[in-house]
Amino acid sequence: MKRAEEFLPLSQATYYILLSLREVRHGYGIIKDVEEISHGEVSMGPGTLYGALGKLEKQSIITKSKEIKGDRRKFYELTFLGKEVLLLEFKRLNSLVDNAKEYIEQLEGENNDNKEV
Amino acid sequence: MTIKKFKIFLASNIEKEEKWLTEMSNKGLHLTKYRLMTYYFEEDPNNSYVYQTDFRPEADEDYFQLYRDAGWEYVDDAVNLFHYFRKDNREQGVKKIYSDKESVKESYSRMMRFYITLFLLVLLTQVGLFATWRGLWVQYLSLGIVLPVVILYVFLLFSLRRRVKFYNKKG
Repeated sequence: MKRAEEFLPLSQATYYILLSLREVRHGYGIIKDVEEISHGEVSMGPGTLYGALGKLEKQSIITKSKEIKGDRRKFYELTFLGKEVLLLEFKRLNSLVDNAKEYIEQLEGENNDNKEV
Repeated sequence: MTIKKFKIFLASNIEKEEKWLTEMSNKGLHLTKYRLMTYYFEEDPNNSYVYQTDFRPEADEDYFQLYRDAGWEYVDDAVNLFHYFRKDNREQGVKKIYSDKESVKESYSRMMRFYITLFLLVLLTQVGLFATWRGLWVQYLSLGIVLPVVILYVFLLFSLRRRVKFYNKKG
């Protein structure tokens, strides 16, 4: 089996799908949750989601969860590997931002100075 | 009133097909049925839909459920490979079933793998023709039938590859 590191970096869609699967959800539940946690920034189409779910399941990053009574939909959850992938990606993104922070603030400062002149 | 239109789109042109169907719908003609290169439209000037075509040979119940949940009405399919969906134009939200470049590219890649397999099968069925080639007129006749099919497949595969490359560059 592939190690978690080998799945990085994740696409924006995959990152949000994994994040939304912190709880068991069905397909449309994922779309709605992603819209919410991204503050409306990411509206995922069903084709994109369906393709991603199939792929992620094959890679054992997510798995079908127990069926919920009275609902014919399939529900998904993260596997242990999935949780690891999500955590690693979060750390990777976080360090990207962290490392740049100081320099970006300088750049922004310079830009503001230029504007004032 | 039902209006029939005969039109051919190659698999690599599904975006053109979507555009055409959506334009027809803007004029009040809405696709309701597809049978063998024939599009059946129902006339209704009060409505307008966005149409999307999805390549999904392995579509299951959950697939249709997800599209329904996301507000896409199922229209029809073309030989169980391509599925037509539509959404009311006035509705809010995404009007695309593939919301990023990456997944559009993947859909063309899936199409390509499918048609490569089909193409190899077509070639395989013709092995006999070439193995027993003796220049008989019947054999020339068969070749005359097979050759255009082969050329069409090659053309299709190249067009699909172009689409994949196009989205590779953009994405």
